[in-house]
Amino acid sequence: MASESAPILSTPAEHILEEPTPVTVQSSESRLSEEQLYLQYEIKRTVDEIRNGKWKRIALQFPDDMLVDAPRVFERIRDDLKEARKTASSSQNGNVDNVANDLAKTSLQNGQTSDASDQVEEKLCILGDTSYGACCVDEVAAEHVDAEVVVHYGRSCLSPTARLPVIYVFTTKPLDLDAAVDSFKETYKDLDEKVCLMADIPYSHHLDDLQARLAQEGYKNVFKTSIIRDPASLLPNRTAPTEVQENPEALKEYSIFHIATPPTSLLLILSSRIKAMHIFSTESPQSTALEASTTQLLRRRYALITRLSTVPIFGILINTLSVSNYMSALSHCQDLIRRAGKKSYTFVVGKVNAAKVANFAEIGGWVVIGCWESSLIESKDFFRPIITPFELEVALKGDGERTWGGEWIGDFSALLGKEQNEINGHSHAEAESTTQGDWDDQSDDEPPEFDLRTGRYVSQSRPMGRPSRPAVAENGETTASAPAPASSALVQRAKGDVAAIGGQVSPAAEYLRSKRTWQGLGSDFEISYERDEEGKIRGAAMEEGRSGVAKGYSVGEDASKS
Amino acid sequence: MVNFTVDEIRSLMDNPKNIRNMSVIAHVDHGKSTLTDSLVQRAGIISAKNAGSARFTDTRADEQERGVTIKSTAISLYGQLPDDEDLKDIPIKTEKNDFLVNLIDSPGHVDFSSEVTAALRVTDGALVVVDTIEGVCVQTETVLRQALGERIKPVVIINKVDRALLELQLSKEDLFQNFSRVIESVNVVISTYYDKALGDCQVYPDKGTIAFGSGLHGWAFTVRQFAARYSKKFGVDKNKMMERLWGDSFFNPKTKKWTKVGTHEGQTLERAFNQFCLDPIFRIFDSVMNFKTDDIPKLLEKLEIKLAGDEKDLEGKQLLKVVMRKFLPAADALMEMMILHLPSPATAQKYRMETLYEGPPDDESAIGIRDCDPKGPLMLYVSKMVPTSDKGRFYAFGRVFSGTARSGLKVRIQGPNYVPGKKEDMFIKAIQRTILMMGRYTEPIEDVPAGNILGLVGIDQFLLKSGTLTTSETSHNLKVMKFSVSPVVQRSVEVKNANDLPKLVEGLKRLSKSDPCVLTYINESGEHVVAGAGELHLEICLKDLEEDHAGVPLRVSDPVVQYRETVAGDSSMTALSKSPNKHNRLYVTATPLSEEVAKDIENGKIGPRDDFKARARILADDHGWDVTDARKIWCFGPDTNGANLLVDQTKAVQYLNEIKDSVVSGFQWATKEGPVAEEPMRSVRFNIMDVTLHTDAIHRGGGQIIPTARRVLYAATLLADPGLLEPVFLVEIQVPEQAMGGIYGVLTRRRGHVFEEAQRPGTPLFNIKAYLPVNESFGFNADLRSNTGGQAFPQSVFDHWEVLPGGSVLSKDSQPGKIVEEMRKRKGLKPEVPGYENYYDKL
Repeated sequence: MASESAPILSTPAEHILEEPTPVTVQSSESRLSEEQLYLQYEIKRTVDEIRNGKWKRIALQFPDDMLVDAPRVFERIRDDLKEARKTASSSQNGNVDNVANDLAKTSLQNGQTSDASDQVEEKLCILGDTSYGACCVDEVAAEHVDAEVVVHYGRSCLSPTARLPVIYVFTTKPLDLDAAVDSFKETYKDLDEKVCLMADIPYSHHLDDLQARLAQEGYKNVFKTSIIRDPASLLPNRTAPTEVQENPEALKEYSIFHIATPPTSLLLILSSRIKAMHIFSTESPQSTALEASTTQLLRRRYALITRLSTVPIFGILINTLSVSNYMSALSHCQDLIRRAGKKSYTFVVGKVNAAKVANFAEIGGWVVIGCWESSLIESKDFFRPIITPFELEVALKGDGERTWGGEWIGDFSALLGKEQNEINGHSHAEAESTTQGDWDDQSDDEPPEFDLRTGRYVSQSRPMGRPSRPAVAENGETTASAPAPASSALVQRAKGDVAAIGGQVSPAAEYLRSKRTWQGLGSDFEISYERDEEGKIRGAAMEEGRSGVAKGYSVGEDASKS
Repeated sequence: MVNFTVDEIRSLMDNPKNIRNMSVIAHVDHGKSTLTDSLVQRAGIISAKNAGSARFTDTRADEQERGVTIKSTAISLYGQLPDDEDLKDIPIKTEKNDFLVNLIDSPGHVDFSSEVTAALRVTDGALVVVDTIEGVCVQTETVLRQALGERIKPVVIINKVDRALLELQLSKEDLFQNFSRVIESVNVVISTYYDKALGDCQVYPDKGTIAFGSGLHGWAFTVRQFAARYSKKFGVDKNKMMERLWGDSFFNPKTKKWTKVGTHEGQTLERAFNQFCLDPIFRIFDSVMNFKTDDIPKLLEKLEIKLAGDEKDLEGKQLLKVVMRKFLPAADALMEMMILHLPSPATAQKYRMETLYEGPPDDESAIGIRDCDPKGPLMLYVSKMVPTSDKGRFYAFGRVFSGTARSGLKVRIQGPNYVPGKKEDMFIKAIQRTILMMGRYTEPIEDVPAGNILGLVGIDQFLLKSGTLTTSETSHNLKVMKFSVSPVVQRSVEVKNANDLPKLVEGLKRLSKSDPCVLTYINESGEHVVAGAGELHLEICLKDLEEDHAGVPLRVSDPVVQYRETVAGDSSMTALSKSPNKHNRLYVTATPLSEEVAKDIENGKIGPRDDFKARARILADDHGWDVTDARKIWCFGPDTNGANLLVDQTKAVQYLNEIKDSVVSGFQWATKEGPVAEEPMRSVRFNIMDVTLHTDAIHRGGGQIIPTARRVLYAATLLADPGLLEPVFLVEIQVPEQAMGGIYGVLTRRRGHVFEEAQRPGTPLFNIKAYLPVNESFGFNADLRSNTGGQAFPQSVFDHWEVLPGGSVLSKDSQPGKIVEEMRKRKGLKPEVPGYENYYDKL
């Protein structure tokens, strides 16, 4: 019965709305009043900033859960901009006379353009459905509409953008201050306790009030963080206490009181830097704030990393097109992988989901280059594990150097700085490793590697050769590849050779050859000729076929008949 | 002490007929190492240092301390028959009376059984040591079974006869009866595992395949030796004499005639064995131990024993030892028995070839092995790794089955997963050096021809524990060893100081290499796990890890067991999952595999590499499978060789072969981490009932199928009454009758149950066999000892998997449900098991 009905060939429309990555908060049960809308979306500030920047084409980027409000926000901004323009032009007109003299002195052209640009109506547009993650600014989409500025609504990872200026509107959320204060008092009994107040972005404006209240309660060492745009800061995107800025170690004495559940990556980043983190849950306020524990999470990541250290082929997933430095991060990752003698392939798949990445069975593990919040993908549904560039670095370190002390870096720009130093370090290590005792001579095959996850040996975990070799290979390539093409049309492949494409070792081709049983149409079909008694192929006699055009074929000379 | 140069040994090696490779196997504490010592003292080659010091083959400090062998150790001995005439008694024609005996002393404790397996692989014969008093114990049986499975010929020595005389004060006839009983029980075991190719291996004193003796006192005798003494006196042929000296055979001193009946004219006659073999021994014991100083010199004269000057002053046990050692030196008896009755490599490899070699029996490697041909292609099996003084490096210990191994020879190193024609798990490398392994010492040697045991330097990086070395490109692997123990007990370790992590990782690698059985890995939750066969094994491994391999302080968790997920029934309905694009559907049911099939898969009798037709035949004939089903097994899992099967039962599905790889990937994934607690699955058969696929290849790619296959397998499992399997030990306990009550108490408290209870004939000892869940076995030994006043000696060995009783894993209140919840929490998962709805899609 199932096979009788033809398969539906189009995806049902409702799937479009199914967000594969869980949305953090969904709280637009009721329509906001005009007033609330005005405040929550900070229309006034937005309009002012647009006016100040003299931007004419503006993209409004909404996360999916705020899209409902998008048209109203759009209209409100449009109207307010119009209003502002009118008042401005009227005031300008009023001023014209006064200023006219001055203007005349300045360059005429300049004045004209500024005037002209001021008169042009701003063009707004809404960007829905972000291609990577709601926390990042979708610069590419914005450039499609030729925008000069992006207004980003909702919570944000505040990663530095590469091309466009951004106005962030965090949209505020209400907070039960009393409960927060009670919870704080319950958690920190000691009035001298050093505590940083931190809040998820939509709640950050409550921190001032909270600090004031706590000061009244007698807490002396409460530091209020404020938002800055620096994911690489000690407290990502937040200011750190002054004593800490001088000495990062001092942060270890601080606890963090965090309002609302932080993203997992933030937990991991902070776990090694601070004393403890207590989370005040906004959804279900409890008397004491929950102490966040990351040890289990970090361990699981460690298991993932060790699992990937023997993987021969990596896939690099580009999960951002806007975070600055993503190209250098990409080449950094490629370089790391190449130096480890492994192969990398680069993919851009838009929003990552299990089905997309499972299409590439050759890939043993994935590295995500994305903003610091979204590149930590903790899901069991993926066929192969996904790690961050920082974790890749750890994974590709030799077993003799790898440590896992709890330090976790989410932001790849922090890694890029270390790169230079590390290259130097590496060459030292290699020099040492080549000088081994009389146990090994180097002429033979690569020894297999111990796969820590399974406790077995894995061969061919470095299909592209040892780390020390690439330099030699690159030099040798020009000389070696020159004579090869002479008659490489048909070369008998020695058994056990790694498959190559264009003279290059290709692990994917090798995978196709050795691991896949299905290798494409025709591969399961064996041509069998009829043979006579002597084993010669018995061919059929040649016959003349049909000729002509589709309108009417003719067979042989009998042209008249079809 | 015979001293030989390496050159002389080397020349002995060239003649395979004059080589005997043998292992000493037995139950723990039956006296293997002590017995080996007496051989080494007499016939050890090289290494004059430390000669004769006790437990020569126990090379580790802790072995010496605990008095228990942990690692198997090889030693080469030189042997000679007392009389060149005896050469005729060797089944094959042998010319020279010089023999090289390579002997491997193996541990007796069950936890180290894997060492025994590794030793057996490289030898052709086995000296089975049995305690006179304790008789055949569980480990005796296990190792005998293993030996016969490897087609290894046994000879037996009944040890600790001195105890029977001194402690139990048995009479001659009682002792004879005791011997007969022990021999009978040995033969029962041997005949149970009868192998046609190996022939009858039962042991008989009158054939000379059994010796009696005392390792501690250093004496032993065979009936053959006495027969040789008496044959001249009676003027009878030696072989005939041997028959007369055992069993119901009596000598009537009055008529001077041999009879088969024990009475003559109403008088009981003394059994010939008692009269001729035991009597002199009893007399020596009697006169020496009872201080009959007058009788002793007479007796000595009669038996032609001469004592050295200072030895004459000895008394009691000391004197007894000296006298007995002179009278019946153990080395002579054992050497004679080994040379005469154990096969030479030339003989043994003929019938061992087919059990050793995975490839066809007529290729060049097979023929090389069969003929033990030093000029054939090299076939060398590395059975274990031996740590060197150089930290982190190992000698590869193995046996040349064909060809000649020499330094500098380029060989193909084939790991256990090597498949002929593929590149995986195959490396080319030159042997750096070949060496002789001599207990604690090694000697370099230029080359080693077929039939010998050796050590190799420089290939340790390519093999984890064992593997095949060959020079032939077409050669298949020598069969991978199957151990009788499994690493079911685990403990996780972590470094106290985070910076020591690399050292720990390195230590885990080394530990994994140094022991044939131990497993080290990092689990899903990021813990470093060491898994061993039992508590003692694990204790030794962790001690090695901390003190030797890693050398850093460690924190060790309590022991835990690993569970397996399985199903108890058929899926209540066909599970259906749709691909993410909803265009492909998989219909699957799950059903339990029978325990026999699962065991056969785990023992390698049914495997993914078998010819599918032959495999289908076995499944159909032995396990009642439908032949068409059996031929359509898609794969085994997890790790492509586990005991779960994926069977294609679809009919006429288009494009099915295109998605096979993807479904198989999903199957490997799902069976590695089951739906209940992310533990591996075991003993589940999945049937693919139907498949609907999109007509465009792009819409049925891996991305659509792999996750779907996993989902549908999870749904099918959850619909089929999922359960947990826990490992269960077989415990054999020897205990005197009065302490038995305590055992039952302890076992019941620990969910164990007794299934066999037998009194050992002639002793107050009882043999109790019980099943005990591994999870409840921690601290069992100590508990047992305290409850029986230290009189019970248990031996536990992993036996089988059993469904965890007490209700469904899906309900929160049942015992298994609680265990699952605990496990899931530890792994950082949601505490409740997701329902099948999570994986099941409605049509």
